[in-house]
Amino acid sequence: MTRAEGTTPGHLGFLTVLEHEQLGLVGGYLILNAAGRPLEFHCTAPVKPNRAQQILFGPTLPAYLYGEQIGQTLLGKGSQPPVAVFTDVERVLTVRDFVELPVALVMPAETAEGEQPKPFVATGSSWRVDAPNHPGSHLAQFVAGRNRLVVSSSRSGDRDAILSRLEEIAAFDLAEPFERIREAVEEAHKGGRVDQAA
Amino acid sequence: MSIAPGDMPQVTSWTVGASQPAAVSSRVLAGNESLELRCPFAKELQPEAQVTSTRFDGSLASAISLPITAPKLKVLSYSFGVTGAWRNQLPKTPAEASQLPALTPPSAPNDEAAAKARTRIQPPGEVIKLADRLFYVLQPSLEAMIGDSALQFPAHPFPYQFEGIAFLYPRYSAILADEMGLGKTMQAITSIRLLLHAGEVERVLLVCPKPLVTNWQREFAHWAPELPVTAIEGDAARRRWQWQQTDMPVKIANYEALARDREVIGDLGLEFDLVVLDEAQRIKNRSSATSQSVRGLSRKRSWALTGTPVENSPQDLVGIFEFLAPGYLKDEMKPRKMGRAVADYVLRRTKDKVLTDLPPKMFRDAEIELSPAQRISYELAEKEGVVQLTQMGDEVTIQHVFELVLRLKQICNFDPATGDSAKFERLAADLDEVAASGRKALVFSQWVDSLETMAGKLKHLHPLLYHGGIAPKHRDDILDEFKRDKKRNVLLLSYGAGGVGLNLQFSEYVFLFDRWWNPAVEDQAVNRAHRIGAAGPVTVTRFIATGTIEQRIDQILREKREIFDSIFSDVEPTGKSGLTQSEIFGLFKLRTPNGPIEVAA
Repeated sequence: MTRAEGTTPGHLGFLTVLEHEQLGLVGGYLILNAAGRPLEFHCTAPVKPNRAQQILFGPTLPAYLYGEQIGQTLLGKGSQPPVAVFTDVERVLTVRDFVELPVALVMPAETAEGEQPKPFVATGSSWRVDAPNHPGSHLAQFVAGRNRLVVSSSRSGDRDAILSRLEEIAAFDLAEPFERIREAVEEAHKGGRVDQAA
Repeated sequence: MSIAPGDMPQVTSWTVGASQPAAVSSRVLAGNESLELRCPFAKELQPEAQVTSTRFDGSLASAISLPITAPKLKVLSYSFGVTGAWRNQLPKTPAEASQLPALTPPSAPNDEAAAKARTRIQPPGEVIKLADRLFYVLQPSLEAMIGDSALQFPAHPFPYQFEGIAFLYPRYSAILADEMGLGKTMQAITSIRLLLHAGEVERVLLVCPKPLVTNWQREFAHWAPELPVTAIEGDAARRRWQWQQTDMPVKIANYEALARDREVIGDLGLEFDLVVLDEAQRIKNRSSATSQSVRGLSRKRSWALTGTPVENSPQDLVGIFEFLAPGYLKDEMKPRKMGRAVADYVLRRTKDKVLTDLPPKMFRDAEIELSPAQRISYELAEKEGVVQLTQMGDEVTIQHVFELVLRLKQICNFDPATGDSAKFERLAADLDEVAASGRKALVFSQWVDSLETMAGKLKHLHPLLYHGGIAPKHRDDILDEFKRDKKRNVLLLSYGAGGVGLNLQFSEYVFLFDRWWNPAVEDQAVNRAHRIGAAGPVTVTRFIATGTIEQRIDQILREKREIFDSIFSDVEPTGKSGLTQSEIFGLFKLRTPNGPIEVAA
């Protein structure tokens, strides 16, 4: 399990999972320094659950794939632990069960000028039934600088941990690095490396 | 169906997932009958795994277990570079950055769309390794880099300048060929700065014409104040010491010093991560010592900055590419094919495309009739000259023709016998008007003699002179005085000394008293005034003595522009593509002699 000890001040982690129509799921994990420069990038080979997994995991399958199989694996590859991990995919929040790092979902920025923030509603039925995301688990939203973040309400410590680093992330556009990850995964895919790794 | 407790089959294992038992249920079959089992902690789940029994008679049921294994996921991992040691001079936190001495406040763009713009670096085709390509793909937007609190910027770059930086940053071979006045210097410095901060380069050599060394030092201090920069200058021992300095990531050398120190550089085994050539058209002649000395530098990246990558012929570009990518271009390539071949290496923008807010540049051709005295001198000189050239027969060379052209052009400026000048009379009248309105004007000529004659005749306007005969140490003072002193309305410049690298955008009038051989040099001159920061329209007056060699040259200059367009645009060339040998001889209706004659620049 990835631990919080030895986290590097100012380093932020960005974890996402992309859905590829043919290949399946591809995970990407980017570690940036305080200036937003890339320090490490890890991406998985495509993951496509087989029929047996689909049957036996049932509705718990996405959470297992996003959080445990992809998320945990990627975070374990990082050699410079960040102060927090951010994701733009709700299902990835389940990775929090396997790491000792604060994990937060970055809410998309408002697009229309003057539009009021919409209340966040957890969607989907992908929450695992085992602890800690037992039925009834809900999410806690908060604002960190220019970003709207969400953590599991059962992980209130994550919110405090992130807010304690507010100086480092307040000015950071936490949604932006996911665009880089998507481009990098695409680049790796174009180069055939992702497919080869599979 | 009911089953007695003793009939309950015993399922010995549940293997679901890699690390935790999950909520599952099972349907037990007995003949045509079945029994559904549920895990007590997940009653709402309905997976469909099946346990097959061979008999159901109260004894233990046989079971088939389905192990759901999680194969080890393959991961591609990349780590990226560290910054140079000198980077430690930079503040590490926003609080430290706020303690920096304040620079000129950034002029953020008013346009909200521009403020939200994100210019991303795209790896060029020449970068092959995936790790290298990902390094560029994963960089933040340039706007974000510039917004990095540790990197102070004195002004907010224009969007096209961001694109220029994004173009240079990932390239190992590149020509930034923006039209003069678009800020090639700033784009190059910022690219160098970002590469140094990213640890991508550590040793940078910038080579420029000697008069521009102080300009580059000034621009580095302005755009990258934290970068240690040294200029290679002084006697041989001092230069040798400067070449060896390891704590100076950026060195600036002029072309002449580089050629002189060629052996020293070789002896010291100097290697550079990046070599940038300013005014790179200097190396278009592949056999020149200048070209050979820069091509001999050991380097990883090669950039060329020039507003005129093609001055006379497409071979000029081949010459520059011998520095960037030797052998990539061939002399025999047709212009359009060459244009396609260099597309990924050359970035060329013009002011009319990217600086729509720049004040207009207005040209007017002042066609002047020679004074009677000038006309007599001119016709006599032309007649004698042509007779001499004709008498030389096959011995005549291009140089002989050039000598006659120069003699005639000088007469068009000032009659050597009487000092008459129809062009000057018109110029003087225009300059009086410029001075009366409190404006400033630049007057270009290719002859120092002509400039000094004009200075003598324009004393009431207190003109300043700027040419190759002025000691370099006084040149900045002259420019400064011209800028600040409201009584100094006229600056007389030679094309050679004043045509490149000067920022004189406070001038609203440019006079080309005589015409240069190629339009690129004239453009350079005009763009001293018509560049970023120009407050108002720039009026350019081109003097042409009618019925003289100047009119014939003007026609050739127009044709030469077509060469450039044929390479750097999609327009099919419509006319002749250069100053051919026949055309030069044709200035005087001379027959082209047999044998090769090298066309001078």
